[in-house]
Amino acid sequence: MEIFRMGRDIWGRPVLEGVSWHLIWVAVGLGVAVIIGHAVYRAIRPRST
Amino acid sequence: MAVAADRIGELPARPDRVLRHAGVDRLVHWLTAACVLTLMATGLLPHLGVQFDWVGIHWIAGLALVVLVIFHILRSVIWQRLRTIWFSIAELRTHQVGKYSVAQKLMHHAMTVMVLCAVITGVLMLKKIRTPLLLRDPYLFGADTWGVIYVVHGLAALSAITLVIVHVYFGLIPENRMYLRAMITGWMSRSEQRARVAGIRAGDKHLT
Repeated sequence: MEIFRMGRDIWGRPVLEGVSWHLIWVAVGLGVAVIIGHAVYRAIRPRST
Repeated sequence: MAVAADRIGELPARPDRVLRHAGVDRLVHWLTAACVLTLMATGLLPHLGVQFDWVGIHWIAGLALVVLVIFHILRSVIWQRLRTIWFSIAELRTHQVGKYSVAQKLMHHAMTVMVLCAVITGVLMLKKIRTPLLLRDPYLFGADTWGVIYVVHGLAALSAITLVIVHVYFGLIPENRMYLRAMITGWMSRSEQRARVAGIRAGDKHLT
């Protein structure tokens, strides 16, 4: 999976165009991973009360 | 350690309630949320195959976010106590209780970095498009510099996805409902406030 989008300028040289939009799903996955991680933590943590 | 490193307890609407967020702060929060969600939808959906004329909505929502950010910074610095949102290692060691938990402060700092990166690069990118506000000048920067600006803007957009998912989740879980209600109505009950202080002192950091 690429991290950056690359293009070419009018002279054919490579130029940076931005981040790869495939990373949208990585960002979604990170958010879901935090939710799952916290849900597991809630289930197994000792109660403070 | 006293609770009132902030202004909790000022202007109670009822004796059994404490004011947590003033009306203007709640309004700014929800307007900011509307702007961020609009910016995410208009900026990201076209890359997921949903095609529509998004540029106009995107830059107008972006400018609204700039206004809200400037207002929030001025209000935080001039009318509020900036240290209520400041994070210190001492809080972790001593279980100090302030208006915001450590986790809430860390989330705020992450959002701050994301929003500042997005709005600064977004304002620069206005020079690339036609708007009634600025003269278009796509040659303001070289291609390499524009590339870096696009990358920073894109990374801010990607981090916004993760941060919004996490923020909404922690706002909705049962133990944090009092914070959500306080952001809607402004108040927490005194019993909720007491339970919150006891929880933080006992080491429960309220991972909001």
